[in-house]
Amino acid sequence: MRLGKSRTASGRVRRWLWILTALTALLLLAVYGAPFICPFDPQGQDLSRSLQPPGKEHILGTDQYGRDVLARVLSGGRVSISSTFLLVAVISVFGSMSGVYCGLRGGWPDRLLMGIAELCLSLPGIILAMAIAAVLNGGVLGAVGALALVSWPKYARLARSRTLALKNSPFIYAVRLAGDTPGQVVRRHLLPNILGTVLVTAILDIGTLLMELAGLSFLGLGAQPPTAEWGSMLSSGRSMLQLYPWLVLGPGLGIFITVVLFSLLGDAMRDCLDVRRVP
Amino acid sequence: MKKFFSLLILLALAAALTAGCGGDKKPEPQRNAGRVFTFGDTTFNAENEEPDVNPHNAYAGWACIRYGIGETLFRYNDKMEQEPWLAEGFELVDDLTWKIRLRDDVAFSNGRKMDAQAVKECLEQLIKVHRRARGNLNLAAMEADGQILTLKTSEPEPSLLNYLGNPYGCIIDVQAGITPDGIVAGTGPYVAKKVIPSQRVELEPNEKYWGGKPQMEKIFVQTISNGDTLVAALQSGQIDAAYGIPYASYPLFQSDKYKFTGTATSRVFFGQVNFASPIMQDKAVRRAIALGVDKGAFVKTLLWGYGEVATGPFPDNFTFGGKNLRTEGFDPEKAKAELEAAGWKDTDGDGIREKNGRKLRVRWLTYPSRQELPLLAEAAQSDLKKLGIDLIVNNTADHNGVVKDPKAWDIYVSAFVTCGTGDPLNFFSTVCLDSSTKNRGGYHSDRVEALAQEMKGTFDRQKRGELAVQIQQELLDDAAFCFFSFLKMSMINKAEVQGLKAHTSDYYEITKDLSFK
Repeated sequence: MRLGKSRTASGRVRRWLWILTALTALLLLAVYGAPFICPFDPQGQDLSRSLQPPGKEHILGTDQYGRDVLARVLSGGRVSISSTFLLVAVISVFGSMSGVYCGLRGGWPDRLLMGIAELCLSLPGIILAMAIAAVLNGGVLGAVGALALVSWPKYARLARSRTLALKNSPFIYAVRLAGDTPGQVVRRHLLPNILGTVLVTAILDIGTLLMELAGLSFLGLGAQPPTAEWGSMLSSGRSMLQLYPWLVLGPGLGIFITVVLFSLLGDAMRDCLDVRRVP
Repeated sequence: MKKFFSLLILLALAAALTAGCGGDKKPEPQRNAGRVFTFGDTTFNAENEEPDVNPHNAYAGWACIRYGIGETLFRYNDKMEQEPWLAEGFELVDDLTWKIRLRDDVAFSNGRKMDAQAVKECLEQLIKVHRRARGNLNLAAMEADGQILTLKTSEPEPSLLNYLGNPYGCIIDVQAGITPDGIVAGTGPYVAKKVIPSQRVELEPNEKYWGGKPQMEKIFVQTISNGDTLVAALQSGQIDAAYGIPYASYPLFQSDKYKFTGTATSRVFFGQVNFASPIMQDKAVRRAIALGVDKGAFVKTLLWGYGEVATGPFPDNFTFGGKNLRTEGFDPEKAKAELEAAGWKDTDGDGIREKNGRKLRVRWLTYPSRQELPLLAEAAQSDLKKLGIDLIVNNTADHNGVVKDPKAWDIYVSAFVTCGTGDPLNFFSTVCLDSSTKNRGGYHSDRVEALAQEMKGTFDRQKRGELAVQIQQELLDDAAFCFFSFLKMSMINKAEVQGLKAHTSDYYEITKDLSFK
């Protein structure tokens, strides 16, 4: 009876995961296929069409430079989401690899790397990222680099703790006795056991990091004009929020939908993989 | 239970979201019998070289005169003509000697009488610490005799009285000293009681003011560099008047509750070319920038009409203004043709021209505290991209630091009051000559140097105007500077505020006449 209920719940989780995956795919399709959806150049100015309200021609209106807001939201989404994916990929890969290395190697490299990680974690992340981004002279890559420098320790500690728990497991002793090299142990046995946790954490982090990247751009430390990016669009539109609300509606909705979608997707994936039960 | 908590959180979020959308009844800040005035200003900060109220500090010393702390010997009327202020009159004894007769009824806020000796001490201190003033005034000697001050210049200085009307010419009591936070004893209607540099000034009436009784009991000048915050502060009633409201927000204040005061000024948005940059040494590139930016569209759309297209450094209504100059308007096709002829061609089809393997990439340095400048940068970026020029915008509050490194920029676009002394020489001597303190791009022209030298020794106003036109024409022909537009300066205040009036010079803001209805 219990087993039956569990199967039903699992099926529901899988269905929910599929729905979220489809919605996410749709979002990515809209963002990456923007030139086919919206014919306007997101950077093309036409001052004679400045600040037109949403209408048939410009579905989300135009900004003060006469640029189509929908085209900029979609183009901005491409920048925001791509830079977030890049950031998550960098911190999850680098963080996990360094965590696994520290967990296996121990000794002074472990103490050194974990010391740096703890130093990063002890400082307020977004403030540190702002300072680093300012030193890097802003830009999308500067913002990604700044957030990467303050965000990797989380993954390093996660991977290290999982490695420490796994490396003394009987099955690891067994594969070592069977003749696997340390590289093979990591590749065939440790990483696959850590991957689920890291993947779910990474997907859950997409929303948070997207907002942090948008925050840096909002402050002028991320994407620079005329590049469209959701944070910088919110920043340039905020002075006209009371009179021309459509300028912030598009990028605001873009951030909201993406963050909610990736958070739900991460939750659903965690439920599906049930990573809490991984030994 | 989970659903209940979710609903609760949702309701709390909705309440927080709508909290700021209340009606018109907002709590008024605490006032002292209704005679406390709070003024929001975007420019009282180091970024605008206005960190405190000491007129001898930084470039301009505008805060001293703007906030009614200091006054000058001569002031400008609405037509930018000079009239006596702390002085009663003057006499030009010979080309090098000026006799200035001072008012007899003026005292500094600390009680000391303003006599010729006090003014002499002030001017001595000024030329000691202020490089620009030293260069402008060319004072060789000063003599004080009661209320008569005799000034001798080292060379004929026809603009001397104009320069004495500049904000740095505010007369302060140097014997009283200058506090570490820049507080000085002036002769104006208000006295600075507390200054937090770049943030806040607290003023109280000068009980010994010679011109009448100041109306306010207390005035707070608050730096609010962010235009949106300034809008919110005025809307919420936290401030009574504002300088620097973004144009896009003007419609929010077009009601009976607010009043606008505005005037055309000689504040120009202009670009200085960096002649140390190899790419800018190419005249075709400089001309392409001058021809390729649609100034008319910028003024009409992005300045919301609160400006005027600039031909040269001075507005058209000046006798030596832009209407006298030969120049070309917005002509992107001509700009393209000149770039082609100079060898700049897009050979790889990426939309950006190249020459000798080098991309036509121009670094545009500007700053955000003048809200119009980032707008101009983005509009120019789009216009110049159509010509095949890749404009890299560096919009930074640290522009004064960046501009010192000639390898860090190609064109520096800033705002500058070109005729703040009512005389054209000030702009040339500050920006265009070898000896200029703000010739950031290292521009040099033998002819401009010679014409400026001639102008320095010319007392005849008409002749000075003709020379000014010739110098401007040289600057335009060399494509050494790009003049984009002039600003119409505006302030917005609550309807009950009286006596706050924008002045063509952009100097006089807080006066004894400031009051509430």
